[in-house]
Amino acid sequence: MKLDVRLSPNWLLDLEMREYRTTDPVDFCIIGTGAGGGVLAQRLAHFGFSVVALEAGDWHDSERDMVSDEAGSGRLYWNDLRVTGGTDPLEFGANNSGRGVGGGTVHYAAFCPRLHPSDFRVRTLDGVAVDWPMSYEDVEPYYEAMEREYPVSGPAHFPWGAPHGYPYAPLEAGTAGQMLIKGCQALGIPVVAGGPVAIPSGRVGKRPHCIQRGFCLLGCKVGAKSSMLVSHIPDAIAQGAEIRTGCMAFEIPLDPTGQVSGVRYYRTDGDQRIEAEQRARVVIVAGYAIETPRLLLNSTSSAFPDGLANSSGLVGRNLMAQAGPVVWGRFPDLIRQYKSPPACALTEAFYETDPSNDFVRGYALQTVSPLPIAMAHLITEEAGGFGDELLRAMQDYNHIAAIGVLGEILPDERNTVTIHPTERDELGIPVPAMHFSLSENDRRMMAAGTARARAVLTAAGATDTHAVTRYAHLVGTARMGFTPTDSVVDRWCRSWDVPNLLVCDGSVLPTQGSANPALTISALAARTADWLRRAAAAGALARRPSDPHAVEA
Amino acid sequence: MIGNRYPAADVLAQRGRWDAATRAVVLDRVHNVPEFRYFDGHDRVTLEALCARIIPQDHRPIEDRVPIAPWIDERCAGAASVGFRFEDMPDDATAWVLGLAGLDDAAQSIAGAPFCSLSSVEQDRILDAIRTGDPPGATWQRLPARRWWINLALKQICGIYYAHPTAWNEIGFGGPAYPRGYAALNFGAREPWEADEVLDPGSSPA
Repeated sequence: MKLDVRLSPNWLLDLEMREYRTTDPVDFCIIGTGAGGGVLAQRLAHFGFSVVALEAGDWHDSERDMVSDEAGSGRLYWNDLRVTGGTDPLEFGANNSGRGVGGGTVHYAAFCPRLHPSDFRVRTLDGVAVDWPMSYEDVEPYYEAMEREYPVSGPAHFPWGAPHGYPYAPLEAGTAGQMLIKGCQALGIPVVAGGPVAIPSGRVGKRPHCIQRGFCLLGCKVGAKSSMLVSHIPDAIAQGAEIRTGCMAFEIPLDPTGQVSGVRYYRTDGDQRIEAEQRARVVIVAGYAIETPRLLLNSTSSAFPDGLANSSGLVGRNLMAQAGPVVWGRFPDLIRQYKSPPACALTEAFYETDPSNDFVRGYALQTVSPLPIAMAHLITEEAGGFGDELLRAMQDYNHIAAIGVLGEILPDERNTVTIHPTERDELGIPVPAMHFSLSENDRRMMAAGTARARAVLTAAGATDTHAVTRYAHLVGTARMGFTPTDSVVDRWCRSWDVPNLLVCDGSVLPTQGSANPALTISALAARTADWLRRAAAAGALARRPSDPHAVEA
Repeated sequence: MIGNRYPAADVLAQRGRWDAATRAVVLDRVHNVPEFRYFDGHDRVTLEALCARIIPQDHRPIEDRVPIAPWIDERCAGAASVGFRFEDMPDDATAWVLGLAGLDDAAQSIAGAPFCSLSSVEQDRILDAIRTGDPPGATWQRLPARRWWINLALKQICGIYYAHPTAWNEIGFGGPAYPRGYAALNFGAREPWEADEVLDPGSSPA
């Protein structure tokens, strides 16, 4: 079919997209087109494989569908029902989900820091959580590749983690970012301006550079901000991949030999809804940390009565949100924080374990810059105020600079995604139920991060500061590990239980550090794609990784 | 009553400089306020009274006030989902019905009359009781007051109000800025088309 999707003012994606028949097995069927699925589709199509990527949502046309309006942007999010509980219940929808081609990358702020080398060894170094079944060095070349391909702007020499710099020059920081920088410098805290953020400070292909419009979180109409929609998906299609929109996967069927045979899904097109099954030689689930375990847990069989690929019992366990308290200060002078990309300055000076703290691991401080509705939600959440109290607080909107703590919440098996016993979504698919409670280490880290953010804003000149507990990003619910009993997938993101099934999204992260996860998810996807190419050539996808006759790729 | 901090602000006057999709969304919101379909009679009056206390607009002529209750009604009628519900809460539409009943429960208990018939001072006392999380009344035994207050009443009403150009003018928000973008980026500088802030001596920020 011929596409007709505008990606920027001067870029109409009008490629002839290849379409595959559902009855002919494709080499790879990928579920989801976000930071993981988008890169996989592009890489695997480049390698010459036949690829169909199923996307539950639709295309986002930059002129027709994206608007400079908070309340008018609901189509960017996964708004289907989810049920949330625990002592610290997470909110779902807008901030931590994505729907449509490109997934959450369409509306992320685009902070793209790397994990630190220590993140891969937290069990060894700090005695908590688990180590990764790979090292930082294993992922490093893929970080470099993704920073070129997104691409990412930032300082030439980034002062934290492993030494590295960024291919595009730092972005200009808005006034809210200047307050973070000013406060850090007043306190002697190292800070960087202008990245790492995936908004190239120059034209990339048909993507113009940023116009400082400040609506990054509602989709970039300019096409400047990197997202899978503009970075990898168009190339995937050019290389022969099919992005099939409006397709909600509900089951991955298992054949009698113990391999998966494809993906069953509902396709909605206008008022029409059909049930279909795409046959595939290999299935890759990339639906992010809620929909991925939901799909696996809903795919039961006599071989896997507790959910597909779940012999470990770990599918849906270890749900991690990233701590994301928002702290704001009021300044005597005007700030107008709505101008410029919200992501523009950060410090990772408190990222690593510090023996003088009463907690392990750490946090970053980043700019946030909420638009009016988001700011009103923060203000109401802090104190529950109404009437003139609320209106007066909001009248100071242009005097507020808000920054965020982004901190490492540790995995806990008791934090889960399960299937709700009775609730169904509009398609009749059982909905996910989440249970989330903080640990003492998490609470101490968040309190320290919040206090630090208040100190930074005060040092920058804020007359009063305010804070609300928030969370961002969701990972961990199909973790990778060393053995079939300690994890759901191996270090190549392949199921221990089903040889031709992979999970490749935020679900596989054993721990999350204090870095926004998109770049890491994409880097892992690129690494997995390289392995799949070798594995397919070696015939390694026919046997389980623990099989004594397994072929090493 | 709050002061008029940005007297020259008129975000809508810039609509000719917005892209067509954004203009359509914002103008539709301003001009096409939905009819009530879900709430009627006493519930509707109670909802309107609640909105008027959370966002008081007495200082504006009636025709200039931002409509809020019709949009709550629209959400309930369409069973709009925001992507989740708390396990101890019913769906949003049901929670709205319960919450309005809870306002009356608390009002009867505290002031001996339904919420909508109380003075604004008395209404604020009822809302303060809900805000603290422990209002009187049977409804609040099965509806967590704090969650209803923050997540439904305040966030949804604020979400509707601060989506309106009138509210943007009130806080000096520049509004949509595509394809034009911003040029005056540093230290609160304003674009030529943005309004100056005018501070009353008594209302200076920070």
